[in-house]
Amino acid sequence: MRYDFDLPVSTEDLMKLKTGDLIYITGLIITARDLAHKRILEYKKENKNYPESFEKIKNTAIYHCGPIIKKDDSNYKIVSAGPTTSARMDSVENEAAGILDMHIIIGKGGMKNLDVKNQKIVYLAYPGGCGAIASKMITGVEHVEWLDLGSSEAIWFLKVKNFGPLIVTQDTTGKSVYK
Amino acid sequence: MGINIEILEEKIKLLLKHAIKRSVTLIPNDIQNFFEELEKQETNEISKNQINLILENFKYGKEKSIPLCQDTGILNFYIKLGNQFPIISNYSDIINEAVKEVTDDIPLRSNSVDPITNKNSGTNTGLNSPPITLEIVDNSSDLEISILPKGGGAENMSKLFMLNPIDGLEKLPRIIKDLVKEAGGKPCPPIILGIGLGGDASNSMKLAKKALLRPIGSRNERSDAAELEVKILNLLNELDIGIMGLGGKITCIDVHIELAMRHPASFPVGVILQCYCHRIASFKINEKGEILNEI
Repeated sequence: MRYDFDLPVSTEDLMKLKTGDLIYITGLIITARDLAHKRILEYKKENKNYPESFEKIKNTAIYHCGPIIKKDDSNYKIVSAGPTTSARMDSVENEAAGILDMHIIIGKGGMKNLDVKNQKIVYLAYPGGCGAIASKMITGVEHVEWLDLGSSEAIWFLKVKNFGPLIVTQDTTGKSVYK
Repeated sequence: MGINIEILEEKIKLLLKHAIKRSVTLIPNDIQNFFEELEKQETNEISKNQINLILENFKYGKEKSIPLCQDTGILNFYIKLGNQFPIISNYSDIINEAVKEVTDDIPLRSNSVDPITNKNSGTNTGLNSPPITLEIVDNSSDLEISILPKGGGAENMSKLFMLNPIDGLEKLPRIIKDLVKEAGGKPCPPIILGIGLGGDASNSMKLAKKALLRPIGSRNERSDAAELEVKILNLLNELDIGIMGLGGKITCIDVHIELAMRHPASFPVGVILQCYCHRIASFKINEKGEILNEI
């Protein structure tokens, strides 16, 4: 089945998805990889306030991606932005997604420990190495947080249009296509 | 009168910058052809979808001259220096300058993080980086430099085995199969596998990476090593890992083995995995700076 989603999306809609479905998403998503995940957990532990901008990304999507960004004058431009290996975030993703209230994870390679059933999370795969073509569907950078972590580790708020085809490789029933 | 050394150094730097750009924005013909063939044969819907995206990405990166993958990797440089080429030093400086400049120009992602402070230099240069391998070629006045951008996902799956010499070779196919199985979708399969068989610990790893420079489909000139390459390749393609770990017939594009004499008590096997987005570029010039080859 093909689905086109405008983000944010309800968990009810995500629960309809089955492995093998193709998804195209439009709206705002955020990038987060190793260091951003680490900091999301640290803030919780240290009772620190998250940036206010995190409020508007609830029920959107976490994209495991360390993009190449070019700064022209004062504008950020996405040059290449494919997915990174999700397995590196596997031990911390349930907690991070819970904190941010996220139910869509986009990456490559899948996540063995993702609590898809209880947290109602779907994992969507995009082929690794396809950073050039992915940049075509990212229409702009709306905001950035934690740039001090480095350009590829920061949380980029990306506007995407018909970003896909993303394949549902892990659905909320616990089914996974990974061997 | 010989050629002006400064002019020649500038020329080498310029050719390096062009080659680095080719190495991250273009896919070599052998990989392009592999996927075009695969697309014709594939019947599984999901795999076909992935192949089409991959082919579309190769095309779009080339058209727009942008990095195919956002992970422009660690740039590995391989220099073949003719013993009669007029410049015998300074390569580290020339390469460092070229890398710094293209990191801003192309741009590349900076993948150079201090292992203790976690600070990214932002330039793709720094402590012992980028890695440069120098080989002196006798009776030659040419210079050839190859560039292999190596992304993190595949590199993370690399491994050095120190086998027991009594059963080393016998166990080899099995341990490699287990390694690739464990890696699953993480290294961006279908992978290319470089194996350094023998040598010492460091040399086997170096040979494993260097083996990746060989064209797809090429076999080791030693027939016993060539047979082992094919045997391991066939074994890996039984794994059903498929493109990006989504299942399917193709898990490995090719296996390249390089050999080195080992210590009687040691049987090192270096294994380096490479992603399907296997980017390489090179150039070769003569002592006058004339281009003999540019890939």
